Amino acid sequence: MKHEEKVPFIIACDAGLYLVKLPKAFYEREAVFAAAYLFREKYHVRIDSIDDNYVGVWFQSKDETAPMPAQFALGEYCNEVLDQQVRLDLNKRYGALREAVYEHAFAPLRERKVWG
Amino acid sequence: MNLTEFDELLACSEGNSSPLFLKLQAKHFMTVEDDDLAIELLATKLRTRKAYLTSFTTLHMMVITARCNCVCDYCHASSIDPEKQDVDMTWDVAKKTIDMIFQAPAPSIKIEFQGGEPLLNWEIVKESILYARFVNRFAKRKLGFVICTNIIALTPEIVNFCKKNEIDLSTSLDGPRDLHDGHRKSRDGRSSYDCFKKNLGAARLGLGYEGCSALLTITRDHLQRLPEVIDHYVEMGFTGVFLRALNPYGYAVANYSNIGYTPEEFVVAFSKALDYIVELNLAGTPFVEYYTALLLQRVLTPFSTGFVDLQSPSGAGISGVIYDYNGEIYPADEARMLARMGDKKFLMGNVMTDSYEQVFDGPVIRDLAYNSCVETMPGCATCAYQLYCGADPIRYYVEKGDVVGSRPDSGFCKKNKRILDYIFTILDQGDERIINLFWAWATRRSLSEVTLESC
Repeated sequence: MKHEEKVPFIIACDAGLYLVKLPKAFYEREAVFAAAYLFREKYHVRIDSIDDNYVGVWFQSKDETAPMPAQFALGEYCNEVLDQQVRLDLNKRYGALREAVYEHAFAPLRERKVWG
Repeated sequence: MNLTEFDELLACSEGNSSPLFLKLQAKHFMTVEDDDLAIELLATKLRTRKAYLTSFTTLHMMVITARCNCVCDYCHASSIDPEKQDVDMTWDVAKKTIDMIFQAPAPSIKIEFQGGEPLLNWEIVKESILYARFVNRFAKRKLGFVICTNIIALTPEIVNFCKKNEIDLSTSLDGPRDLHDGHRKSRDGRSSYDCFKKNLGAARLGLGYEGCSALLTITRDHLQRLPEVIDHYVEMGFTGVFLRALNPYGYAVANYSNIGYTPEEFVVAFSKALDYIVELNLAGTPFVEYYTALLLQRVLTPFSTGFVDLQSPSGAGISGVIYDYNGEIYPADEARMLARMGDKKFLMGNVMTDSYEQVFDGPVIRDLAYNSCVETMPGCATCAYQLYCGADPIRYYVEKGDVVGSRPDSGFCKKNKRILDYIFTILDQGDERIINLFWAWATRRSLSEVTLESC
């Protein structure tokens, strides 16, 4: 069974080269890049626009002798990009609250009186 | 609320005057649009709950030595043989540490002496306390001291000093002799339990029962024996216990296959132990499970409950901080333990070389605080328990490699969520006797006081 039949969003291209297609409507550039960055130790990664609707993330293993565990590793990429996107969405929605709490936490430093 | 009531509520939320809507509105679960008063009230509630942030760092832990006369199989701090000499805090480092502690803006300061076993470097503990008292003549803070010790090296001189200087002891008891000795092994081969028992009596004679509390660390051996451990705590005259799980640091990692367990296994044992403690109380023996009491305080009252390990933002650095024997400063004990394992990601600075501003207004502490607000963390922001819970960014870093972490895979999250599930299950059952007990724990009163009030 080919990878794309088992995991339709992970597509086997040439030998050792795999593509993850992500809909631009759901995933922002920042999330796609932040998630891909975490995979650069084991893979060569290229990000490019496929068309108006999809962005493509291509992965090629740096270790040519090891068979690429595409489904697991790239499935992990999909989970990671989801996590990054949720972080962005939550920051848009509740970021102001976070900023207020964070500023409040460090406010005592500004008001600090040094004794002696 | 059942599903039909929920659907009815959604169908006519605006202008709804049903008893259910009015009840939820009164408790600030629901409001009509543009209700500025409701928003202001909620903001006040949130400010009250976050009041622990107004002081900045209050808990300052000093690692007086990395040496220890015990070698516990779960030791998070990876203790070192007592014969080793270059892992003690020197007076220069201790003095600089205290000078830095008093740079903190907090009106209340608690200095906690840790190890290893701090009593193995007693002269530095003593000199540090005397110097801190001297500095506080000018700094004028509410100052308290705690020594975290296995009390094996306790002497009459130390007890007298502690009594004179109002110092509390925090020690460890892992249950009956076989459990305690099985995990808290004395390096000289003697029974650490026997030493503990003998010296606990001496400590209590000098400091009273309240001046010497004990901590329990739960290993796999404890899971089936917690009622027995609780009975032992009662027999030894303790009035409560903190059912504390293992943390993934130090020897606890190396020995995981022998002493570890899953969060699910822990919570099953925790729940049974909590039931046992509740029964004890209802049968007339007052005894508190401190973690449940803390969570109940958050669930049942609007008050602020600072607890470094369960805060948002995390208390790491901004509420508590630890000074290692060599002067290195870390935002939490776990970060120091991680450094001992070779990863110094959370090193904030060193008392010998860095200023207060460089350390406490630096990138490590700011990054931790910014990334540990549960309000914006995936899995936390939408969690029903968000208000009662907190973040543990150092644990997340250990589990996943970044401080934000991933809640679906987090043992910390699983443990807390399931404990809160269980507490809410008990609350939902509505047994008046247990509700009264929980109110007593949440408000730090006796069951009889609460029962009289509810009559």
